Amino acid sequence: MDIRLLRSSDIPLIQHANLENLPENYFLKYYLYHALSWPQLSYVAVDVSRPPKTPYDYPKIVGYVLAKMEEEPTDGVQHGHITSLSVMRTHRRLGIAEKLMRQAQLAMVETFGAQYISLHVRVSNQAAIHLYRTTLGFQTEKTEAKYYADGEDAFCMKLDLGPIREQVQEARAAAEEEEKQLLGDGEKKENGAGADKEKTNGAGAAEGTAEELDEGEAVGEVGRDPAKSAAAAAAQADTKVKVKVGRGLGVGELVERVEVKHS
Amino acid sequence: MPQPLSTREANLFRTVIRNYEDKQYKRGLKAAEQILKKNPKHGDTMSMKALIMNAQGKTDEAFALAKEALKIDMKSHICWHVYGILYRTNKNFDEAIKAYRFALKLEPESHQIQRDLAILQIQMRDYPGYVQSRFLMLKARPQLRQNWTALAIAYHLEGNLQQAENILTTYEKSITTAPLKTDFENSEAILYKNSIIAEQGDIERALEHLNTDAKNSLDRLAVMDLRAQYLSQLGRKPEAAKAYRALIERNSEHPAYYKGLTAALDIPNDDEAALKAVYDEYAQKWPRCDAAKRLPLDFLTGDEFRSAAKSYLTLMFEKGVPSTFANLKHLYADSFKRDTVPAVVEEYVKEQESGADDKEKVNGDRSKGKGSALYFLAQHYNYHLSRDLTKALEYVEKAAELDPKSVELQMTKARIFKHQGDTQKASEAMDQARLFDTRDRYINSKAGKYQLRNNENEKALATLGLFTRQETVGGPLADLTDMQCIWFLTEDGEAWQRRGNVGLALKRFHTIYNIFDIWQEDQFDFHSFSLRKGQIRAYVDMVRWEDQLREHPFYFRAALDAVRIYLSIFDKPQGANGVNGVNGDSANGEDAAEKKKAAKKAKKEAQKAEREAAEKAAKQDPNKATAVKKDAEDPKKKDDDPNGLKLAATSDPLGDAMRFLGPLLQFSPKNIDGQIAGFDVYIRRSKSSSLPCPPSHSVESSLSFL
Ligand SMILES: CC(C)(COP(=O)(O)OP(=O)(O)OC[C@H]1O[C@@H](n2cnc3c(N)ncnc32)[C@H](O)[C@@H]1OP(=O)(O)O)[C@@H](O)C(=O)NCCC(=O)NCCS
Repeated sequence: MDIRLLRSSDIPLIQHANLENLPENYFLKYYLYHALSWPQLSYVAVDVSRPPKTPYDYPKIVGYVLAKMEEEPTDGVQHGHITSLSVMRTHRRLGIAEKLMRQAQLAMVETFGAQYISLHVRVSNQAAIHLYRTTLGFQTEKTEAKYYADGEDAFCMKLDLGPIREQVQEARAAAEEEEKQLLGDGEKKENGAGADKEKTNGAGAAEGTAEELDEGEAVGEVGRDPAKSAAAAAAQADTKVKVKVGRGLGVGELVERVEVKHS
Repeated sequence: MPQPLSTREANLFRTVIRNYEDKQYKRGLKAAEQILKKNPKHGDTMSMKALIMNAQGKTDEAFALAKEALKIDMKSHICWHVYGILYRTNKNFDEAIKAYRFALKLEPESHQIQRDLAILQIQMRDYPGYVQSRFLMLKARPQLRQNWTALAIAYHLEGNLQQAENILTTYEKSITTAPLKTDFENSEAILYKNSIIAEQGDIERALEHLNTDAKNSLDRLAVMDLRAQYLSQLGRKPEAAKAYRALIERNSEHPAYYKGLTAALDIPNDDEAALKAVYDEYAQKWPRCDAAKRLPLDFLTGDEFRSAAKSYLTLMFEKGVPSTFANLKHLYADSFKRDTVPAVVEEYVKEQESGADDKEKVNGDRSKGKGSALYFLAQHYNYHLSRDLTKALEYVEKAAELDPKSVELQMTKARIFKHQGDTQKASEAMDQARLFDTRDRYINSKAGKYQLRNNENEKALATLGLFTRQETVGGPLADLTDMQCIWFLTEDGEAWQRRGNVGLALKRFHTIYNIFDIWQEDQFDFHSFSLRKGQIRAYVDMVRWEDQLREHPFYFRAALDAVRIYLSIFDKPQGANGVNGVNGDSANGEDAAEKKKAAKKAKKEAQKAEREAAEKAAKQDPNKATAVKKDAEDPKKKDDDPNGLKLAATSDPLGDAMRFLGPLLQFSPKNIDGQIAGFDVYIRRSKSSSLPCPPSHSVESSLSFL
């Protein structure tokens, strides 16, 4: 087995694994949305042992974790979320799920500064609950009634990423220390000291934030988890619906809207 | 020139736009009508009305009206822009580009039109056009980093790496204060630049850049990974070794890291002991690491292999890991290993039975190890390189004595039956496995698949329906189709084909074809989205993958199936694929009648299943159905050929085949089956006098490698 980062070309077979293993399914575009928003977070387990049948064989995906950052955290705290995790039955109990999860957790801290990670799991899913609670140390926050489309309840689980963050910081400090020694006691590189500097956006930062949105709106429907039950979606509706105000109007604006509709 | 409106009407016009944006189509139309009452020939309003009608699904009327508006107001950029949007939403990108170009000529300053044009250009891979658009956009707004990055991407994709790098550098130089460490866009842009430097082949410089500019990148893994690669490419071995060690510390289940390490350590490929020592170090360090224990089995030989295999297998059996065989079967390419592994396992079983290896084990544990070993042997004898189905069945029965309700064992039994060629028994056995764990979708999927292999389409759909969303209108088939479940569509189509129902078979393969179209369109939104998100490397990776999308075996299999059906329709045209879309064998009257009857029955069954599904869907909680159906108001066209009757009644089977064949030859030219299918189609087309000659060069060039 090979545990590695997800690539776009893996997606059809990730979607396939998801459809084989879980009742919560997504359009290919939803996987793309993950792969292109947080490419550091999602991992796959590849069966490298099959001899290729044609020159066009794609790596066989036997497990995957699809992970994201919460875009607008209701609690205002940066955190990650596991959208989907599964392993083909023929490859279960090899430790694959655990290792996929650990890679995702580390990247969440390093790249996006996640404070914790959240997920949902069916209250009847013994294997997954063991994995999250016992193996990885998640804690059950609460039970969400009828979270799943078929009416089953979900446990909301959370893992504090504090310990991982400490590890990351220690490793970084050690690396910096080492580098310093390598450089001798010459002058410190400016780079290392710039943590508090103001961000400037090149020539014309004055243009302001409205301009930052230049490329238009989000990818549309794809940003929502289509597998969630109606109830769960409705419960979140307040926070999810974005209202666009005060933007200059013109036919061009419409184009993004059309996209949103079709996605 | 756009006609001037009174203030009141100008306000109304703005309302129309807003209504359209908010999808309040009725209101929008009403407001548009109000304007048109006073100004019946107001082109912009007519265009907006057309746009709304298009959104309501009235495509033809929308186009007619938009055209009329254009005739009235050829000089309005709004009219042209809307015309372009209509084309774009109806997937005619080439025409859309033309319309946008006209609009832009009339309104060169319009950022929006320029952006729409740019997106279409990259979607259509018009690189020079895209470069030009992004250049103009950068010129208009150089203060935005996005615009610099976008131009660099345009050059990069066009193949102008040098220019791409220059653009990124120019922007970097314009920054006066150091960006924050947490500035993701910056961090990613630097790594993007690094990838461009490396792509130019200048590894030395790429490494230097990585060590300085990219040092604090937020994507730690990428930096570590690239460092290790560059160092080993440059032959800086001690440093490379260190870099690979750091990577193994991070992810000890990635074989390439071990390979990189042993290469950097200059260990010769045949120095098994030295190689193994490297792995052993990590195996000891992390007891839960699988790769370090297993990978040495790939290179060890002789007695060393035997003893390593024994300890690995023993460990896995004692843990009761059912997936052990899946993890080792690749070793069977080596005949010595293929013989040694089962010998080791049999030895283990004997030890268990005689209690030789008894270290005060509890009974339960013992049977766990033995059961796992027996299961391993069953899989061993079921595997194509070491197949002995009688023995396989013996072992699976033996193992089942210890654990009669095991899904894995029952699943293996079904596989053995399949290999015996008994699809009926295989289907029953797999369904039994499903019943042992009705909550696991994996086993449910397998049961459905085996039913399809046994031509039980209706039953399979019912099985799979246990896990599809209940509220999907149209039942399990609609849900599986919506969710782009390629494996089901392929297997279902092939089963219908075997049953002689050409219509439904073609229907499924066309559905797959359309899903690939959707997947290609899916990238559209990301051309702008990714610039905002700043994840450029992932975006470029996606663009390149999309360029090869139909190379995927998913496409190949379905397309080949479809081409073959069309060939058989062509070969037996007269009435054989008559009204019911069922292909009989006209050569033999009796047989044909027989087949026709069977096919008729099959069709009836299919219709019944469909009806039942529809009824079931109708009975569902109406609230649920509408609440979830996101496109409830989306005026989706009703499928007017659900059973593929029209598809099967084609008058131009070879033309239809070409649609599937084109991408198949283009993207998988080295696949022999595709070439044969291509030959079969072209030779028939060239014989058929009414048709123009095939582009023979393409056949020749694609066959040249044979
Ligand atoms: C849940 C799932 C992902 C676990 O994958 P996996 O690769 O087999 O898990 P691992 O091998 O990493 O096992 C992790 C831990 O869970 C335990 N575990 C795994 N399957 C188990 C089972 N069926 N029952 C009890 N424990 C189980 C392992 O023993 C291990 O525990 P340990 O740390 O105490 O040794 C897999 O069973 C699966 O894909 N199930 C179907 C899809 C699903 O339910 N996904 C989760 C949705 S939230």
